[in-house]
Amino acid sequence: MSELDLSPAQRGYYSLHELDQENILPPENKMRERRVAVIECMEDIPCNPCGFVCRANTIRKESLCKPGVVDWDKCTGCTLCVSVCPGMAIFCQMILDGKGQVTVPYELLPDPKLGDSVELLDRSGTVVGKGRVVRPTYQAKGDAHPRWVVTVEMDNPKMVDQVRAIRVLGE
Amino acid sequence: MEDWRIYEHPILEFDRGNEVTIYLDGKPMKAYSNETVAAALYANGVRVFSKSIKYHRPRGFFCGIGRCSACMMEVDGVPNVKTCVARVRDGMHVKMQKTFADRLTPFLNMMNLSPMVYIKMFTKPGFLYEPAMKIMRQFTGKGSFPKDSTGYNSEARAKTQEEISTELLIVGAGPAGLSAAIEAGQLSKDVVIVDDKDRFGGQLIKQTHMFFSDVKYAAGKRGYKLANELVKKLSGMKTVRAFTNTTAVGYYPSENIMLLLRPDNTTLRIRAKKYIVSTGAYEKTLVFENNDLPGVYGAGGVQTLLNVYGIKPGKMGLMIGTGNVSLIVAYHLLQAGIDVKAIVAPSFRRVRGYLVHAAKVRRHGIPIITRHTIVKALGNEKVNGAVITKLDDGYRPIPETERVIDCDFICIGVGLNPAYDLIQLFNPKMVFVPQLGGFVPVRDKQFRITENAYVAGDCSGIEEATTAVLEGRLSGLHAALSLGYGDDSVLQKIDEYEWALKEDRNSSFSTAIRTALEAIPVENIEEVIMNNVRTGS
Repeated sequence: MSELDLSPAQRGYYSLHELDQENILPPENKMRERRVAVIECMEDIPCNPCGFVCRANTIRKESLCKPGVVDWDKCTGCTLCVSVCPGMAIFCQMILDGKGQVTVPYELLPDPKLGDSVELLDRSGTVVGKGRVVRPTYQAKGDAHPRWVVTVEMDNPKMVDQVRAIRVLGE
Repeated sequence: MEDWRIYEHPILEFDRGNEVTIYLDGKPMKAYSNETVAAALYANGVRVFSKSIKYHRPRGFFCGIGRCSACMMEVDGVPNVKTCVARVRDGMHVKMQKTFADRLTPFLNMMNLSPMVYIKMFTKPGFLYEPAMKIMRQFTGKGSFPKDSTGYNSEARAKTQEEISTELLIVGAGPAGLSAAIEAGQLSKDVVIVDDKDRFGGQLIKQTHMFFSDVKYAAGKRGYKLANELVKKLSGMKTVRAFTNTTAVGYYPSENIMLLLRPDNTTLRIRAKKYIVSTGAYEKTLVFENNDLPGVYGAGGVQTLLNVYGIKPGKMGLMIGTGNVSLIVAYHLLQAGIDVKAIVAPSFRRVRGYLVHAAKVRRHGIPIITRHTIVKALGNEKVNGAVITKLDDGYRPIPETERVIDCDFICIGVGLNPAYDLIQLFNPKMVFVPQLGGFVPVRDKQFRITENAYVAGDCSGIEEATTAVLEGRLSGLHAALSLGYGDDSVLQKIDEYEWALKEDRNSSFSTAIRTALEAIPVENIEEVIMNNVRTGS
């Protein structure tokens, strides 16, 4: 039995297909225009930093316990929500010059540096390819609970929907 | 010798203090002044701390917060010291409580004459008790009487008793207790807060992840920073007296006095008008073969080792349980560079915690194995593997589905029990509510369990930190109100916190907790107490 036959609750993550059905993933034309946020938070967790941090007022939360929804027409791709999400469930995606870019929150060692080579991991932890760090920022807002927010670039633009974690290999 | 300390961590910087030397059975070991004895021994690779009394099986670190008594050793001549909460000192002598009867015990057990039987004997006539105990203790491994301690000398003991009076005594300085002290301290004139640890903050101090919550409260804050904030706020308050290292060991309702034990073996008696109990929770464990081997830990114990002392519990771990605590601890292990082999869900067909926490560990390659449970830990003196098995629809193990997982430690994260020991001494009405983790006291809407006692936090029902903070604030305010302090603005605050608490429990994850909690509170606690007295229950 393949893992994909299980329910998301058994496996611990949502598959690409399931996310697509729930309209969680941004359409390709939006990603070609600019960087946009993707919120992979589908449960009612009492939490709301994403809704408050968004400068463009893009993330809508009906109530404390309802998951946030992004308006891709307004999202500026500032990545602030990536840095504040306690569940590490927000990512950013973009397709630039035929290459894919994904922004992930990162709380592991070693610290990422510009130009570092990284292994790209999908939602199940499988290595799906290699990429480069194009923007590592140590982001914090207000009273500072900082974490790394790392944008990586990959040659295959189709992979932006898959890549959700990185393993920093160094130069 | 291998050093198990973590020197590089993505989130934390460890303040270990000065380097000191301690001696284990005469052998010198490197330690740091901010470490506990158990942490220092662990960092030096020591895994077996004592032997069990009856069958002399190896015992080691389990809970790491002074609850479970698995780590007791003789420290500087004092037997049965909980090494996981005792700080090291330069030149400290630590001894394993071995007995010369270790080899004799199997034979005594065979004759059903375990030394533990004798420990209850010789209580009469009284003059025989002390010499008999001295001999019997040699057999049991409970250590020998201290040669020079005030504890056994009645004259010296009389001098060490101290009694203080206060308006409000708060027992337990975790998120709930600290919040209660801050709220009550702002209104009333004299509040005392005590905790049995050497620092305040309860279990917040080992939480390195960001908390879910409303931005008005703790949202996005890492737990240990929240603890620092609360402690800082409290230390600036002149109306609050704080005692660390002080264990509440008894409450006597007829005299209205709380008996506390100080680290130097002296006692402290506190007489208060009102009490708030916020003693937190115990970790549950699981039944499987060899579950007492050193290397089988509570998930919280591992978190303490990792994030408070910066010490690796092992190299390859196996996590049992898929609640939020298990998922978070698995992530903390990952951050410390430890290989987590798998997360095994004992009997549930789904991940019990939030899927975002599960996704966080999955995407770094940690598998989650549902419908499996652990049946056996492998190893002699410590864990070197685990056997897991598949379960059928009736949650029974399916034969021949066993497989061995290679690991050198096992974390048990299967939930918590409210620590109701102290609560019970107030004679409240207790009810068993599985959704809240076990026995909890009946309370009214003001968190009152008897006419002079309040509860807050996990000891009154297992939830999480944000609700503990809110409950603490509310009980603190109610206690202050009942002492005659406060005005209309307090009522406004109460409304605000109550609303926040309600909002926080409004998720589908909290449905069971919400219904259970709604069933417990009563309008009039005095009536419950009166009925309790009448029926004698």
